[in-house]
Amino acid sequence: MLKVEHLTKVYPNGTVALKDVSFTVNDGEFLVIIGLSGSGKSTLLRCINRLIDPTEGRILLDDADVTKASSGDLRQLRRHIGMVFQQFNLVKRSSVMTNVLSGRLGYVNPFLSLAGIWSRADRDRALKALDRVGIKDKAYERADALSGGQQQRVGIARTLMQEPRLILADEPVASLDPVLSHSILQYLEQLNKEGITVLCSLHFLDLVHRYATRVIALKDGVKVFEGLPKEINRAKFKEIYGEEAQEVRATTVEEG
Amino acid sequence: MATKAPSPQADRSPIVAGLLSLILPGLGQVYGRQQYRGGVIFISELLAVLTAVWYKVPAWYAAPAIIWIWNVWDAVGAARGRLRSTLLPIAAALIMGYGIGWQITNIDLPALTRNSHRAAMILAPMLRPDFLSQVEVTNTAWAPVEVPCGPNPPASTNTINGITVTISPNCGKLNDALTLQASGLWPNTETLIQWSTPIGDRLPLGKGFITALYVPADAQGNLNVVIHVSPNALTAAPDPTLPLEHRVYLTQSHPQAAMQLSKNGAYVVDGIIQTLFLAFMSTTLGALLAVPFSFLAARNLMGGNPLTLSVYFIVRTILNILRSIEPLIIAIIFVVIVGLGPFAGMIAITLHTIAALGKLYSEVIEGIDPGPLEAIRATGGNWLQMVRYAVIPQIVPPFASFTLFRWDINVRTSTIIGFVGGGGIGFYLYQWIIKGDFRAVSSSFIAIAIIVIILDYVSARVRSRLV
Repeated sequence: MLKVEHLTKVYPNGTVALKDVSFTVNDGEFLVIIGLSGSGKSTLLRCINRLIDPTEGRILLDDADVTKASSGDLRQLRRHIGMVFQQFNLVKRSSVMTNVLSGRLGYVNPFLSLAGIWSRADRDRALKALDRVGIKDKAYERADALSGGQQQRVGIARTLMQEPRLILADEPVASLDPVLSHSILQYLEQLNKEGITVLCSLHFLDLVHRYATRVIALKDGVKVFEGLPKEINRAKFKEIYGEEAQEVRATTVEEG
Repeated sequence: MATKAPSPQADRSPIVAGLLSLILPGLGQVYGRQQYRGGVIFISELLAVLTAVWYKVPAWYAAPAIIWIWNVWDAVGAARGRLRSTLLPIAAALIMGYGIGWQITNIDLPALTRNSHRAAMILAPMLRPDFLSQVEVTNTAWAPVEVPCGPNPPASTNTINGITVTISPNCGKLNDALTLQASGLWPNTETLIQWSTPIGDRLPLGKGFITALYVPADAQGNLNVVIHVSPNALTAAPDPTLPLEHRVYLTQSHPQAAMQLSKNGAYVVDGIIQTLFLAFMSTTLGALLAVPFSFLAARNLMGGNPLTLSVYFIVRTILNILRSIEPLIIAIIFVVIVGLGPFAGMIAITLHTIAALGKLYSEVIEGIDPGPLEAIRATGGNWLQMVRYAVIPQIVPPFASFTLFRWDINVRTSTIIGFVGGGGIGFYLYQWIIKGDFRAVSSSFIAIAIIVIILDYVSARVRSRLV
């Protein structure tokens, strides 16, 4: 469904974040991107929905060229691409409900949304999304009153409002403790099984083994590995993360 | 001293270092590779000497002398690779500083008790704030007198409210005796007799012309008394030789069992209302105008290219300068331009508010979390939706909180802006202080305190909910 061709991103200060990266994501995959901090994972994910404009290369989403889309077309494309962030990116002072509803902004009448008016159907949809992530009872609390794990679940509920076909998850569990990491990734896994393609960057290798259907590794903006999780052996690990690297496990608790 | 001194090395001659510092304080330390220390010592010594010279008190030369001697000892130490304690020169400088400070501020503690009679003159009336007064029913009448005598003095008999007042003779010069007769007054009631000049000044006619003259009416309501033309009757007359009509007033009053706002009490209420609305208008106007400035003064919005960055620096500088000038001083200028009154005060406070809030708002804008902006863009929202759902929720509560706090400050400022003619309660307060009407001063103090305490409380409560 997603085809990335020769993607290169050079920032104005000269930093080369991505260098000639190409890969394909098939429908229904849970593709994980690994690599050190600064290897270009976030830049890659943000190029896909053009929060960052790539310097060169093409991104095709079901044959629609994201890189050439006009701003109106781009908003149409973004509606179907959900995004989950490391820092959750919620408006902390707003209610959980408002944060979730904001996921629907691409669909609704812009004038009504500016006035803060939401249809009954959208409100019901938001409550249903919160119910799915198990925090319906928190709907009218302020977002910053929630714990980190709960905030990330609000983030997932917000993407659900988009009725996404693809979810981009940028280090969704890096700010959470190991047990919460599993619960968040299990929500993503569940959505993936229901047919939503997931493209996710992760730090911990044991999480990669547990959730990924396929893996891409980036090093200094270059794709250095593409394959199945089990193919990442000790030698590959050293190649991706460098000679001094030691594997740190997110958790030894295996959940089923 | 944040700068870290390089670690001393013991490779310089202590004698040379000592001699150098004896000639010029700090030089020996520079020679001993303690450039920063040497610089600080030189500047401190220079300031100490200049201060002692300026204040011409011989004793103060002790401080620079101590620092000079210490500096020689320190230079020798520096050359040997040892840093000496700075306690002694700092103590010498501080003793000098506090000593001169004591002299300059003219601290005179006995003055607090020496003038107790003056304190009593002010404090005693302040214990009886002039806010309410007893309702009185009055009975009043007057008759004309010409001062000095002209060719055609007015008829000196006058009947008002059934009271007939006669003065004979019906003209005179200062201090002349006049016979005052009246009939038809309330019987057996004290009657206040006052002189009234052509411009309406009421002068007392009692002992020494400083106390009020009260004379009782008899059982028939008649009154007969000799009064003297007040020696102050011509004080405001443009030409003392011109015969003008003065009046003698008779006033009787019966107090009633009811209270009303006194004349000054009404002024206090009027002044407080003026002050509150002055602060309200200037805070609102200032806050509205501060918003565009705050965007121009936010580095994260203006840092993009050299042009916007220079706008940022210019706006910042203007705001900084404007903020450093007290509204009282700005008001003096606008009183000259637009005239006395609340409008001048409003402009002054508004300008100060723009500067103060502009800076605070811009810091809020600089501190917003870019994450939610990114999240809204990622959902397919447009620019306006991003502002509505990601920017406004982040900036409105702190903006509102700062604005409320500013209103609180502005109320305080507008209570004194009247001292320079900027309107509000301060305008009345200033005049009462000059007139020595300390009962009215006291009631305006109380009114200001009540308003400030209430606002303080309300704004703190509301702000704690916003943040």
